[in-house]
Amino acid sequence: MTNKAADAAAVKKDVRRTDISKRSIIVNKLGIYIVVAILLVVGLIIKQGDYVSIDNLRSILSAVALTGICCAGLAFVVYSANFNDMSLPMTIALSGMMAVQLIPFGIVVSVLGGLAAGTLVGVVNGVLIGKFRANPIIWTLAFNLVLSGIVRVAWGGSQIYPDVVAGDSPAALAAAEQFTSFARTYFLNGSLPLMVVVMIVLFVVAYILLTRTKFGNQLKIVGSNYEVAKLSGINTSKTIILAYVFCSFCAAVTGIFYASQTKIGAYSNGEGYDFSCLTAVLLGGMMLSGGKGTIVGVFGGVLVVGMLNNIMTLIGIPTFQQYLVTGLVFLFVVWLNTNSERKLGRA
Amino acid sequence: METTKKVKLNAGFINDYRAYIFLAAVLVAGLFANNFYTVFNFTSIFNSSALYTFIGIGFTLCMIAGHMDLSVGYMATLGAIMVLGMHTLSGLPWAVSFIIAIGVGALFGLFNGVLVAKAKIHSFIATLGTQFVIKGIMNIYCNGAEISVKGDYGLTDAMAVTVPVLPFSVYFLITLATVVIFAVVLSKTRFGRNVYILGGNLETAWLAGIKSDKNTIVIFMLSGIVCGFGGALYAVYTGTATPTLGEKGIAPLMVALTATIIGGTDINGGKGSVVNTFISILAIVAMFSVMTTIVGKFEMQILFIGIALAFCVIYETLSKYNKQKTIGLRPNLYNEYKKETGRQRI
Repeated sequence: MTNKAADAAAVKKDVRRTDISKRSIIVNKLGIYIVVAILLVVGLIIKQGDYVSIDNLRSILSAVALTGICCAGLAFVVYSANFNDMSLPMTIALSGMMAVQLIPFGIVVSVLGGLAAGTLVGVVNGVLIGKFRANPIIWTLAFNLVLSGIVRVAWGGSQIYPDVVAGDSPAALAAAEQFTSFARTYFLNGSLPLMVVVMIVLFVVAYILLTRTKFGNQLKIVGSNYEVAKLSGINTSKTIILAYVFCSFCAAVTGIFYASQTKIGAYSNGEGYDFSCLTAVLLGGMMLSGGKGTIVGVFGGVLVVGMLNNIMTLIGIPTFQQYLVTGLVFLFVVWLNTNSERKLGRA
Repeated sequence: METTKKVKLNAGFINDYRAYIFLAAVLVAGLFANNFYTVFNFTSIFNSSALYTFIGIGFTLCMIAGHMDLSVGYMATLGAIMVLGMHTLSGLPWAVSFIIAIGVGALFGLFNGVLVAKAKIHSFIATLGTQFVIKGIMNIYCNGAEISVKGDYGLTDAMAVTVPVLPFSVYFLITLATVVIFAVVLSKTRFGRNVYILGGNLETAWLAGIKSDKNTIVIFMLSGIVCGFGGALYAVYTGTATPTLGEKGIAPLMVALTATIIGGTDINGGKGSVVNTFISILAIVAMFSVMTTIVGKFEMQILFIGIALAFCVIYETLSKYNKQKTIGLRPNLYNEYKKETGRQRI
């Protein structure tokens, strides 16, 4: 009798909320766009009207596009609970160099070759990590080193230039011209670069893949709980392989645009991309423990990273101080990320 | 349990002595290289292995405890910059400069440790961020420029003095002493045992009453200290320090990682030895020396060290994958299967 009364009292006292309010969902999903708005205001205060001028917006978007294309892919790897793809830098470099090297065979072969080389990296990563459960960080670090060795040995440690590779034949020179014009193509009276269009297309593809397909649903379960996914009959290795392949495909696209923009194929092309892309993805609300986050959020994260860099350059913060700020921002974001996971009782 | 033991029986010897086998293979390959077996060459191998050894010790220590410290390379660079900055730019005596360099290393180790132990951030993610913080601070301090000892070569010369008979310089002897100290600390002290237990099973460690947070912070601090000290010694030995140390060519971090994994340290922690890491670093540096004579291309070194690392990771992964397959199988059924098909694996 008394026990039951005590139980009833305990039940009454328990006022923990189990429902999730609509407002918190919106803040969670679109919180990053509040930061975007704040940065926009900060930019306006610093630069007055110039900040929202077409020129500056275009420069932000162009600067963001390369990171953004890469992030659309990396989001899948983070989502599948594999933390980070440390072989991004060399994937970018390899696909760029491959594309430049194949220019004499025509522009189509060049682009397809670059994409294929990058995607192959994803296949190897995916098989090793998805099928054989290698440690994702150590394997991708090791494979990055192998790729760096291959690229340096194959090209003798030197840089290659599209117009030099093309040689004397007019067809190849035209292809080289076309290749370097990729990053310099603009739509809508020069306000919308091709890179930004590609980035948006890839983000839309990523959004559809993640939310509207069987693969996306399976990836969510694989990312949230690998064992459960396996026991419920999901082909986990196939899912993770697909995630890595998409990541490397996006990295290959980045590599081709990078080589096209700088007119150079070099082994140092993608340096630092593993770090900056992870920052953007985590800023966008992807959880390191996997299975949580949205592509819309990641897009916001990419914008924030781009605007932050832009504002730092506008204020005139030197490169070295920028390293410090990026590092601290990264750590702060990761701390926030981990902290919210701990509140949910995970990690 | 029975089945898993039988599967990995013959692989056990290779797994435990991988570093020594690698070293033996390199020494055999050295027979075909000109001037490999000379005192001068061995002195240079020992001297160039010193920086990697310090970084490798820090990395192995963290990995035994189940963490990854990706900031070790920058930590060493910071130590190099600090010691010469304090001595040359600020005019402090060597002893004080060394203490400051080590102290700064310890400070960033503490920073890493707090991020990992208290904020519960994955160690490789946390140290990936710390890398950039260190890079920024270091470059702000030295303004991105090289610092040299500026004519004060007393200590540099003293470190290059070789011991009679053996091809050991004072620099290498200090390295050797550090390896011995860390090997003894890891195998003979309570702290060392705690490191292994923390890496092997965090829950067991907690139940055994080990203060995991405190020990993790100490481990990261030790890693910072040993890397700062190694970087400082390297800077004094070479007479210069640049903030891009190791960015051109092979990053010291990758050498440390390769050596740690070849040395048999478990990726998930709980197993490993500083001595094995040291032996594999010697083997890697000797391999560089052999390859310089035979192939003569710097790029080939990167490819070979990469292939060695990838091979080891694949080997570990596959053996773990096969082990996982036999877990939960009934031993008698497994034995029948083996008898019928003659195959070891399923």
